[in-house]
Amino acid sequence: MAIVELKEVKKVYPLGKTEVHAVKGVSFEICKGDFISIAGPSGSGKSTILNMIGCIDVPTEGQVLINGTETGGLSDRDITDLRHEVLGFIFQSFNLIPVLNVYENVEFPLLLGKSRMTKAEKSDWIDMLIDEVGLQEWRNHKPNELSGGQRQRVAIARALVTKPEIVLADEPTANLDSVTSEAIINLMKKINRDLGTTFIFSTHDPTIVDVADHIIRLRDGLISDNYRQDDARACRE
Amino acid sequence: MAAIIGIKMRDVKIAFRNLTRQKKRTILLAAAIAFGIYIITMINGFTGSFIENVSENFSNLLAGHIFIEGVEKSESGRTLSLVRNDDILMDAIEDNEVPWKYITKRSDMNATLIFEGETAQQTVTGADWDQEEYFKERIILTQGTFEDLQAERQGIIISEKVAEKINVEIGDRLLVKCRTYTGQQNVGEFVMTGMLVDSSLFGGSTAYANISYVNELLNLKPGEYMSMGIYLEDPDMIDETAENLYEDLKTRVSMFERNTGDDDENPIIAMLEQEDEEEWEGLRFRFMTLNDIMKEVQQIVDVLNTAALIILLVLFGIIMVGVTNTFRMVLMERTKEIGTMRAVGMQRGIVRKLFLYEAFFIAVIGVAVGLILAGITMLILMQINWGLDTPAFMLMKNGYMTFKMPVWQIFLNFGIVSILTLFAAFFPSNKAAKLQPADALRSTK
Ligand SMILES: Nc1ncnc2c1ncn2[C@@H]1O[C@H](COP(=O)(O)OP(=O)(O)OP(=O)(O)O)[C@@H](O)[C@H]1O
Ligand SMILES: [Mg+2]
Repeated sequence: MAIVELKEVKKVYPLGKTEVHAVKGVSFEICKGDFISIAGPSGSGKSTILNMIGCIDVPTEGQVLINGTETGGLSDRDITDLRHEVLGFIFQSFNLIPVLNVYENVEFPLLLGKSRMTKAEKSDWIDMLIDEVGLQEWRNHKPNELSGGQRQRVAIARALVTKPEIVLADEPTANLDSVTSEAIINLMKKINRDLGTTFIFSTHDPTIVDVADHIIRLRDGLISDNYRQDDARACRE
Repeated sequence: MAAIIGIKMRDVKIAFRNLTRQKKRTILLAAAIAFGIYIITMINGFTGSFIENVSENFSNLLAGHIFIEGVEKSESGRTLSLVRNDDILMDAIEDNEVPWKYITKRSDMNATLIFEGETAQQTVTGADWDQEEYFKERIILTQGTFEDLQAERQGIIISEKVAEKINVEIGDRLLVKCRTYTGQQNVGEFVMTGMLVDSSLFGGSTAYANISYVNELLNLKPGEYMSMGIYLEDPDMIDETAENLYEDLKTRVSMFERNTGDDDENPIIAMLEQEDEEEWEGLRFRFMTLNDIMKEVQQIVDVLNTAALIILLVLFGIIMVGVTNTFRMVLMERTKEIGTMRAVGMQRGIVRKLFLYEAFFIAVIGVAVGLILAGITMLILMQINWGLDTPAFMLMKNGYMTFKMPVWQIFLNFGIVSILTLFAAFFPSNKAAKLQPADALRSTK
């Protein structure tokens, strides 16, 4: 079964007296454990689609299914819980909480819901993630004391802390130089391999697109190309 | 405990840290609240002790909480204030178990004091000073003592001003011209045994002597006097005690009506008017209480307190506008952050809570600072001796300002401020909580 499924999704934004048809009817499936790139030129609807998969925005028409659940019918409370439990977010501009230090930023999502982990397990897990993204020395620093690459590493650790099945990253490297970008993508790829987390990221950087094993290309709110490297593996489980 | 009332340390911590993000703004907002609380606390504190001080000063001046005066109509139609035989009064006091502390019996006369050609008009109050502990504690003598006065039957205590005016000193003998209670001219001689601190309201026109000699000058018999003053153990008991005693006295002797039932009319004046209007003969008693006299003072206090409340509301109306605007700004600045928190799984209610906590903390800080500053100001003001000859004397306690504010009033003000602040912050907070996370994240700030 596909972990994410979009069925004839459309998104219309009102813009003054007119409307913007950002997504004009898009259907695709995403398999568990894939490393997916959503590519396309600026304005093609990448962010819009990621927002709808991430349940932080709702489609005007069509359905978004996460793990087979139609998200359109859920209450805000349930949607929020779904985001908390199933989804992780990495943003283009990092979006760390400025008043919290590195450790607290990573910890933050864990404090929001009920967790099966004990206190000790939690702190071990957070420390492990901070280690994994290479920030153990910056543990007690506030975001404004970190470089862009370091901030994005914190964001990655934060996105992973609730052990989500899906991590969404909207242009995670757009604010980073090419060397740092590559490092960040490699880190995401490593986690994808190690933990089996499904990564969905958008980008218009061709070098990064190539790392993905499933590429969905968009143009003008429609899919222009949907390519999976290893088609045989298609959502078998 | 914290978990039971739904407060999570995480939320408190974040809200508290958010306060420190824009320190200047937080300080300004808290300062505005502090200023409001400061003003209100000062007014409340002042009016709180105002009524008490005025009431105490009046009871000093008038020697009691409940007053009973005998009034006799002579054959010629003149009214004379006189209690010839107070057995009935004392019986009534005893039968009603009046919780008295002191019962004073006084005679007053208008007299002219003369010394070496200089004269001064004075009310000379005669009392049995053994029964006047309450009064003696509160009057300030600069020379001599009440013992000196009691040791000298013809002794008199005069205010500094009068002593200076007629140029007498301790031990000097001065002449007194007065009238007996029936109106005959009389003369006598006083010996100055003490001098009291000047106060235009308190002692400036009154001198104090022994009742035995004042009675002699008035041509009253020993044991007779003009007015009885009852000090109660507890001034809060005045109304209840007076009501019972008055009703009982009505069955024993002839009494003037006490309450006219007309709210606007001063009960004392109403009673005095009866004396002229009504037909009556023989002996009648006037009965009044400190509270009757204080009725008008209470009205002033009520006006002040109402004014304080209006100031509180107006001030906080203005502050609320500030709070709302500040939180609108805060909301704008943090829209993206709200989107992030919502995206990672924070429920709407908690977003709102964070803002409300923040507002509440500002209120708490503001109120605390305001109260501390008001407390310090009060302590300083309380150290200053304003003297006894200022017109504000009646409002003070022996020339010192006092402040009194019941704890519930502090909590009430705190409550009003918190609720208003939370109310002002609620709408921006609610708006923040209701944002679609994607819209919030798109914010360019
Ligand atoms: N809130 C909005 N209101 C109006 N129009 C919008 C809104 N968000 C996006 N759009 C429009 O929808 C279209 C798709 O936008 P979207 O942000 O999804 O593109 P994108 O592929 O992410 O572009 P970029 O690479 O620049 O981030 C664009 O034409 C954009 O102007
Ligand atoms: Mg985009």
